[in-house]
Amino acid sequence: MSDGILLDITLPLDRFTLSIWWKTAESALGIFGPSGAGKTTILESIAGLRKAARGIIEVNGRIWFDSGRGICLPPERRGVGYVPQDALLFPHRDVMGNLLSGWRRAERAARKSAAPDRVLEVLELTDLAGRGVLSLSGGERQRVALGRALCSGPDLLLLDEPLASLDLPLRRRILPYLLRVRDEFAIPTLYVSHDATEIKTLAREVMVLDAGRGKAQGRPDEVFTDPSILPMTWTEGFENVLHGTVRETSDSTAIVETEPGLRIAIAAKGLVVGHEAVLAVRAEDLILATQSSSGLSAQNSLPARIQDIRDTPPADGIGGQVLVAVTLGRLSTPLFATITAQARHQLALRPGMPIFLVCKAHSFRVLATRDSHGGAA
Amino acid sequence: MSSPSLVALLISLKIALWATAAILPPGIMLGLLLARGEFLGKTFVETATSLPLVLPPTAVGYLLLLLLARSGPLGERTLGLDLDLLFTWKGAALASAVMALPLVARTSRVAFEGVDRRLEGVARTLGLGRARTFIEITLPLARRGLLAAAVLGFSRALGEFGATIIVAGNIPGKTQTMALAIFSEMQIGHDQMALTLVAMTVALTFTAIWTVEVLLRRRIRTP
Repeated sequence: MSDGILLDITLPLDRFTLSIWWKTAESALGIFGPSGAGKTTILESIAGLRKAARGIIEVNGRIWFDSGRGICLPPERRGVGYVPQDALLFPHRDVMGNLLSGWRRAERAARKSAAPDRVLEVLELTDLAGRGVLSLSGGERQRVALGRALCSGPDLLLLDEPLASLDLPLRRRILPYLLRVRDEFAIPTLYVSHDATEIKTLAREVMVLDAGRGKAQGRPDEVFTDPSILPMTWTEGFENVLHGTVRETSDSTAIVETEPGLRIAIAAKGLVVGHEAVLAVRAEDLILATQSSSGLSAQNSLPARIQDIRDTPPADGIGGQVLVAVTLGRLSTPLFATITAQARHQLALRPGMPIFLVCKAHSFRVLATRDSHGGAA
Repeated sequence: MSSPSLVALLISLKIALWATAAILPPGIMLGLLLARGEFLGKTFVETATSLPLVLPPTAVGYLLLLLLARSGPLGERTLGLDLDLLFTWKGAALASAVMALPLVARTSRVAFEGVDRRLEGVARTLGLGRARTFIEITLPLARRGLLAAAVLGFSRALGEFGATIIVAGNIPGKTQTMALAIFSEMQIGHDQMALTLVAMTVALTFTAIWTVEVLLRRRIRTP
């Protein structure tokens, strides 16, 4: 049985024909694209709720759909855990009843890692087990929908905009659960989102979808800095995502270490020493300095090196901006800073040049925190 | 309460209950078909389903009589056995059932249309087949509307007059329901008796319809 996923889907829609081809052995996958690009349609095709016109859908060596050979498994035989954007919990069942909806299949399935007790524990739903679903908050609904999918013993999880319906503070609460699920149950997962930062945090391989076509695919940090993709993410700004461990905390600030010796000061309350933290910082909030300067109010001045300099195409709002990729310590993925073309010439920036990254503690946003055993905090 | 009126009440209840039991399965299936099915001639089926609602009940009764007559399509000569429906309480139940069909089918249809199809889709992805999804998701979610359909059908059967009198006659103690008894008592000038029967009928149907109203209102409050 070969691991991996093959998606070869062609499906005419009202405004365009959806057509993607994606073969990957990676298990944390993301589809990024603006609304109306066909993201949900892809998930529905994979789940079997909407029949593709042509193509092949193969998951871990099992063929779910093959138009050439006339194979189209019904949804109940595919082994998919579908978490729709609006949760769609069964209103006539309580939380536990919802979680156990797919348990019958799970008992038959080879994969039994997601026992209901463990799911309740990981998603912190134990106290809600007997509650009716109509009284749940938005974040609780999302967790129950996720738990219900996990309990059905899926071979592939499909998450449609898991955070989109939640406000910002709630996203920070749910994201750790998604990370825990990814790491704890190790089920291949396809996240769909219009938020590049979310995809960068959760996915290890991403496809960018535009009007039904795969525009680019690959590692998120490479794809999202591609000059042709960049404008698509620009409305929210380009955000760098960093993983680290909380080392010190005070009243309103904390020190997060991304690797031994590389300490970042952030302004955040309520962090716990020893917990892992996922941070985001916008590219335009990073300042480049050719020498370490004193007398700045900015709390961070980190030694780094320029890896690459890219001119962004003069699209709306970002014309004339320069994107500088900077390697920081041993981080495998570079951080990106945007500067003006003028600044680039004034500082005579070139690849390979040592540099200091200057950034205010307030510029870092905490996306998620969890204890080092994977528990959400 | 005099004993003849009690007899008529019991006959009415027996006929209406059997009529409801007989028409619920096909009525609900028809409602499901109209709510979820996409097929050629759907509009024809929709229209035909509503016919008993608008036709004069005597017309429906006469058609049933022709159908069940000795040499009719469902008669003794054609089938080779006597269904024993004409001028029996079973015939009255059949006539009431046919008259109740439009209400049962239309109310079930609305009940099924109120169930989010995406919930059924999610159930399928969780490994529930079509039949299991219907039993575990669709039916429970439509249950209030279906209950309303049953009560409406029962009420319609209880008040049925025209089709019943043609198919089953007006035999006291056998096929004479409340509706028929009111007519007979009034004809022979027993105003007091007729009024008693009317009061009993009003009480019975009022309770039934009130139940439906409560059920439907609760359904709207908890989606």
